[in-house]
Amino acid sequence: MKLTKILLTTAAIAVAAGTVHAEGANIFVIGGKPDDPFWSRVKKGAEDAGKVAEAQGGSVTWLGPQNYDNLGPDAAELIRQAIDQKADAIVGPDWVPEAMDPAFQAVVDAGIPLVIYNAGGIEAADRLGAMNYVGAVDYKSGYAGGEYLGKAGHKNGACVNTLPGAANIEAFCNGFNDGLAAAGGAGSTLQLPATAFGDATAVAQAVRAHLLENPTIDAMFAIGDQDTNATISGVQQAGKTGAVHVCGMNFNDSILANIQGGTQACAIDQQGYQQGFFAVSILNNFVNYGVTIPTREILTGPGVIDATNVDLVIAGVQAGAR
Amino acid sequence: MSKNREGRSSRLSLGSLARRPEAGSFVGLILVYALFAILGGAVFVGAPGWSSWLNIAAEVGIVALPVGLLMIAGELDISVGSVIPASQMTTAIIAGYLGLPIVLGIACGLGVGLLVGLVNGHLVTRTTIPSLIITIGTMFAVMGLTLGFAVLIAGSTSVFLVPDPVTKTILGTFLFGMFNVSILWWLVFATFVFLLLHVSPVGNWIFALGGDRDSARNAGIPTSRLTIGLYMLSGFAAALVGILQLMTYQNAQVATGQSFIFNSIMCVVIGGVLLTGGAGSVIGIVIGTATFAIVNQGIFFSGLDPNVGSVIIGVMLLAAVLSNDGFRAIALKYSTRKG
Repeated sequence: MKLTKILLTTAAIAVAAGTVHAEGANIFVIGGKPDDPFWSRVKKGAEDAGKVAEAQGGSVTWLGPQNYDNLGPDAAELIRQAIDQKADAIVGPDWVPEAMDPAFQAVVDAGIPLVIYNAGGIEAADRLGAMNYVGAVDYKSGYAGGEYLGKAGHKNGACVNTLPGAANIEAFCNGFNDGLAAAGGAGSTLQLPATAFGDATAVAQAVRAHLLENPTIDAMFAIGDQDTNATISGVQQAGKTGAVHVCGMNFNDSILANIQGGTQACAIDQQGYQQGFFAVSILNNFVNYGVTIPTREILTGPGVIDATNVDLVIAGVQAGAR
Repeated sequence: MSKNREGRSSRLSLGSLARRPEAGSFVGLILVYALFAILGGAVFVGAPGWSSWLNIAAEVGIVALPVGLLMIAGELDISVGSVIPASQMTTAIIAGYLGLPIVLGIACGLGVGLLVGLVNGHLVTRTTIPSLIITIGTMFAVMGLTLGFAVLIAGSTSVFLVPDPVTKTILGTFLFGMFNVSILWWLVFATFVFLLLHVSPVGNWIFALGGDRDSARNAGIPTSRLTIGLYMLSGFAAALVGILQLMTYQNAQVATGQSFIFNSIMCVVIGGVLLTGGAGSVIGIVIGTATFAIVNQGIFFSGLDPNVGSVIIGVMLLAAVLSNDGFRAIALKYSTRKG
């Protein structure tokens, strides 16, 4: 009886000792699918910051869903997995607050330092008691796109939403519509069924059909780089090249080439690398040394890429910085 | 194997028409087209509308044809969803990133499809594990390998490829600025599969396989080789779609293709193929694909909420299965009375 008690006490002390982080910080990062071009950049940022954590005896573990069919509940499950695996600190995006907030609450209740990144904004960080928010503000990103196209003189916009129901995507589209409205235009949202996500042909044909049905549309906004490429193809197939101007979130090589070539007006960059890098760095330094960043809401975007600065961005890509 | 399909089309009576597996799906096609013709108006009925749904139908149709053959033979193939990105990434890496000849890239891309089919076929014929589980397994394995190799070789999850004008014309151009050349490939492939299933002796083997595998083997049909061949055809078709998309959009992504898994199965089922195997037709699969594409695209011309499109597809799927059962009951009743 007494022996058991001693053993239990020893075990409890051992567990407690584990949380003093003599062996560095084990940081769990919840993010998108690792094969998603945007998220692979966030992951690289997190892993690069993880090199410091590893040098101090810690680690960075990436947890991403297999697909986006059931985004909120799947991501909530990943957060709980991170808690179960005794994370010293957790980074996560608040994509679907209704489904994910209870899991984030469990992180805070367990006393694990939390940083919200990519989606949710400082509001989510405040509501959940997280240390900070690192990321672009989705609404402002969409707003920048709408404002850009509106100031260029375009009046009727449509935001292509291939992932209806995700809070950050709704915010992109609301921001785009408001930004366009502020510059004197008007915007609407083209909602695609879930069967279209990730299928360039389905997105392109939907855009084309929408443009044929609504001939006055002269501005479009897409929520990711693959969708942007598909949207531009849809515009071309509708015979509207030059008449419909496209801005999109994020960028890749072909988008930069399109901006250079004039088939795309602008790309809104939220600089995913920075999101992964700073979220992990903030937590690693806090767990190891107790230091904090007093600035709340670390903005990584929006940055507008258009014909005037695209060459600089391409130089950045070649240098491996973007 | 007692099922005799030889004299099926020789008598043209009401009974034999109703007994045709595509009868119900043809009625569905007419109803759906009429609905969207009314809602969509002149634009949908004109060339822009036709090209819009034909472009969608062509890609999912090329995948649906061999998936349909497999379902007639009593098997499923989920792995098509990851063969599409695997083939397009292979081609893009070889011809785009490494700068080798595009013919080599396309050959290797198609080879990846054939290889995945070969593995699927051997696993299905040599084990007793249901093909659903096996192909889910290979789907995830191929997905992981595609991601791994793309990042390892090209250092990126999306790879660029600018095809030469000849390749672009054959595989990725828009005829009249709106009809994707993939529509022609779909028609060629549909003709090939039609001849395979309804004219060549292999067709009867496929029906026999889906009817009763053991009896088919006892009757001297090379069931294992046939199954492996069908899986390779399915892998080849998915690889072809991957390459067609690559040549059209000039960009390979490791994350594309998942939507083809359910979409192809839906086209096949709406087209009247029996889920338990042993019955179905190529014309039915083509009709099912057209119906699926018309609903998918018609919704954007109709002014309805796009989510309504998913509801219609879902209802049509259930209606197809129910009416198949209904038509089958009529057919069986008719043939017993006759006999």
